[in-house]
Amino acid sequence: MKKIFIPILSLIICTTILWKWTFGFNDFTIFSYTLTKAGKTPREFPTIQLVNQQGNVFNIKDKHKYILMNFVYLNCPNVCHKVNNQLEKLYHLIDTNIAPSQLEFVTVSFDIKNDNIEKIEKYRHYFGENIDGWTFALPYQIKEQAFLQYLQNIGIWAYKMPESNIINHAIYLLLISPDNKIIKTFDPARESNADIIEQLTQCLQEK
Amino acid sequence: MFYLLSFFWNDWLSITMPRHQLIQLPAMLLLGILLAYCFSTLAIQDMYWGIAILIFIMASFIFWMLPHSIDVAVINKHFNRVMHINMLLSGFLLILVFRKIFFEVKILFLGMITAMLLASGITLSVFNMLLCSSFSIEQQKQTGLYLIFIAIALFIFTAITFFSYLRNRSK
Repeated sequence: MKKIFIPILSLIICTTILWKWTFGFNDFTIFSYTLTKAGKTPREFPTIQLVNQQGNVFNIKDKHKYILMNFVYLNCPNVCHKVNNQLEKLYHLIDTNIAPSQLEFVTVSFDIKNDNIEKIEKYRHYFGENIDGWTFALPYQIKEQAFLQYLQNIGIWAYKMPESNIINHAIYLLLISPDNKIIKTFDPARESNADIIEQLTQCLQEK
Repeated sequence: MFYLLSFFWNDWLSITMPRHQLIQLPAMLLLGILLAYCFSTLAIQDMYWGIAILIFIMASFIFWMLPHSIDVAVINKHFNRVMHINMLLSGFLLILVFRKIFFEVKILFLGMITAMLLASGITLSVFNMLLCSSFSIEQQKQTGLYLIFIAIALFIFTAITFFSYLRNRSK
């Protein structure tokens, strides 16, 4: 009995540790782990003050609309711009009855040290003129460390690489409801625009 | 050596993914193996304990190959040290088990390690998505490529060992 029990016990202990560490063999990267750790949707979206490209301070919950939020930084070598290009296409594909009247896009930069209002305003122009429902913003009066902690709380992992200005981060899109809850997350690297639009429309119809 | 690898050179070894995964981790394992050779009389006598320990070693390898573990090890120094001690212990225990366990089990274990390294290497080299936030995608691909080479080398070693054993037995 002992001869079988000991290897099986070792297998159970090791499997349990790996199972716990990956949230049931689902999350193998720190990006997906942080998202799952933040909690199941719908979950409360913690309040944060942002400042938009015109310098106006605002709060997501005061918009009383659905918000599709993503996080970028302007010195990003490529992935942020790819995601924003995808968002630009998405914005123009969405029914004009939905965006911007019911749904707005908010792109937040998390590079507090290097990005400023002028830069985000200039950056916004790269995505054309007809994007009234797409706000570019910066966190308002918050320290870098506190903001990184805030990001983790909402499920977005960001890590500033030492000795460079590179910030490796999750590219998830968060859908926030008018009652200030994160109701859905999207992974633009895995989901097509058509899939995202379908799910967005479904969420808006369910309200 | 442990002090040098775990403390003195740790920052340098943690800067890039190939250094972290292909130098620091195997070096710790090798140190454990060398340490076991200093205790030539020590061995795990019972087969069931041997298998239980091999499961632990295998799980340790899998754990430290996970992108999430790699990230936390780079960011958190305490967690990094746990990795070093775990690898040292794995190397040490591996030799103690291998001294007495059946040859077939050794081959099976080496085969599984080879398969794991190959799978990890292929995953890291073909994924165009960043898996570890502490490193760059170029480093990820480079690490993947070297892991494939290591897996091939280990496969050749396992095959030679296996067929040499068969030849000796038939004699």
